[in-house]
Amino acid sequence: MQTNVPTTSTVLKALLRSDLKTQWRNRRAVILTVAVPVIILFSWRQIINQIGGAFALGSCITVGLMATGLMGYTNSIARDRDKGIFQRLRVAPLPSWAIMASRLLVQLLMIFIITAAVLIAGYSVDNIIIPTEGYVLAFLASIIGATVYLAIGQVIVGLIKNPETVNATTRLVYFIFIMVGMFGQLGILGDVIKKYVIWSPYGTVQTIVAGAVNPSKWTNTTTEALLVTIGYAVVLFLIGIRKFKWSSK
Amino acid sequence: MSDEKNFILDVDDLNIYYGNFKAVNNVSFHVKAGEIFGLLGPNGAGKTSTLSAIEGLLKPQSGSIVVAGYNVIEKPLHAKASMGVQLQSTNFQPELTVEEIIELFAGIYGVDLTKEKLDKLISENNLQESRQKRFGQLSGGQQQRVSLSLCVLHDPKLLLLDEPTTGLDPQSRRQLWERMEAMCEKGHGILLTTHSMEEAEAVCDRIAIIDHGKIIEIDVPQTLIDKHRNDPEVIAVSRKGKITLEDVFIGLTGREVRV
Repeated sequence: MQTNVPTTSTVLKALLRSDLKTQWRNRRAVILTVAVPVIILFSWRQIINQIGGAFALGSCITVGLMATGLMGYTNSIARDRDKGIFQRLRVAPLPSWAIMASRLLVQLLMIFIITAAVLIAGYSVDNIIIPTEGYVLAFLASIIGATVYLAIGQVIVGLIKNPETVNATTRLVYFIFIMVGMFGQLGILGDVIKKYVIWSPYGTVQTIVAGAVNPSKWTNTTTEALLVTIGYAVVLFLIGIRKFKWSSK
Repeated sequence: MSDEKNFILDVDDLNIYYGNFKAVNNVSFHVKAGEIFGLLGPNGAGKTSTLSAIEGLLKPQSGSIVVAGYNVIEKPLHAKASMGVQLQSTNFQPELTVEEIIELFAGIYGVDLTKEKLDKLISENNLQESRQKRFGQLSGGQQQRVSLSLCVLHDPKLLLLDEPTTGLDPQSRRQLWERMEAMCEKGHGILLTTHSMEEAEAVCDRIAIIDHGKIIEIDVPQTLIDKHRNDPEVIAVSRKGKITLEDVFIGLTGREVRV
């Protein structure tokens, strides 16, 4: 008697349904992830005219993308690997990539939620008005930008097996990106740091998101930042996938 | 040859290395339809490596593994769809309820999960009280029963049970043994690993003792006892004058504690 193997779409649908439920049950963490960039945007109310609406939206969306990519995705992967959840899925008739694809699709939803929340907050709190195509491009830029942070997360879970160490590392990287990235780009830390920050994974993502919300101001530098962002994502994902082990034992 | 057609699992000349260390050394055995086959060995003997290779979690350096006619290297998804696996340390998302976990795996195995089928599975595994509870809220025994319920969800030809009764109370353990025997009567094959010699003696039709990566004995439990009852090493470890499978096991694998 022939053994039937379920189709990939059936498997992916089942995985996605359970991953979305898991994400929903962790909605407090989701709310916090969304709240941080919105609070930053709110606190910048008085200086929006000085720094510019596009810069503010770009920075806040970048902070949100970092939180979901670095901490949400990475810590859930580290936890599920350590608990043996992946091993149980891998002995089932499904391709291993489907497990990750489902997780990444959930992250895609998170990216949309964060971007939408910041854009809505920008409009309603800070009265930042952007052109219609700016909304579409902002979502696209967010997806591209988020891949860098997901890739950094992939490198972290590739190199570190212990979930507590992964958690501590992602928080540290997140903190460094916010402190050095945000303050550095504002010029508070001096010109040398600013120069480095602009081409760092923080700066390039911030540049492309800021450029996307205001397409008329898209420059050659924004295009270069886009290319560097894609480069970061490709290189880091290759390292992360190569180093990744499905079991922490 | 006619016997070979009944093999649900056929492991032939399996070799697994970790760097220069040979964890599994020319291991060969088979599990027939309707048979409970026990793989016994001390810690680090090569049981988990052998099981991992059968489950497709680990690629052996050489040898072949065929599950229900499918080579695990050439047709991994078909081989996996033909087996039900209960891992030693299985876990599921603690946020999902028992029902949601069963629904997830029904989707993964392509099982049409009707309300009646779900209810039957839940009651067969004594999970009625906890069906709406999240996995993270369950006791160790309940978690073990969820894991076991998923093994049989898709009516697999081969069951791989890695220490399935760990954490179960005597009643649940007896019930599991009865279910294993009932499955065998329907023609399923079961590969079981356990550290409980009592369990091996009670349920296994045949057992293999593996040590230092090599199979040192394969036979019916009682035949093994009869064969080795006069070995000085076995007599030396026997208690109260009666030779048991545990005495034979310790006699063959040594008294030192493995870590």
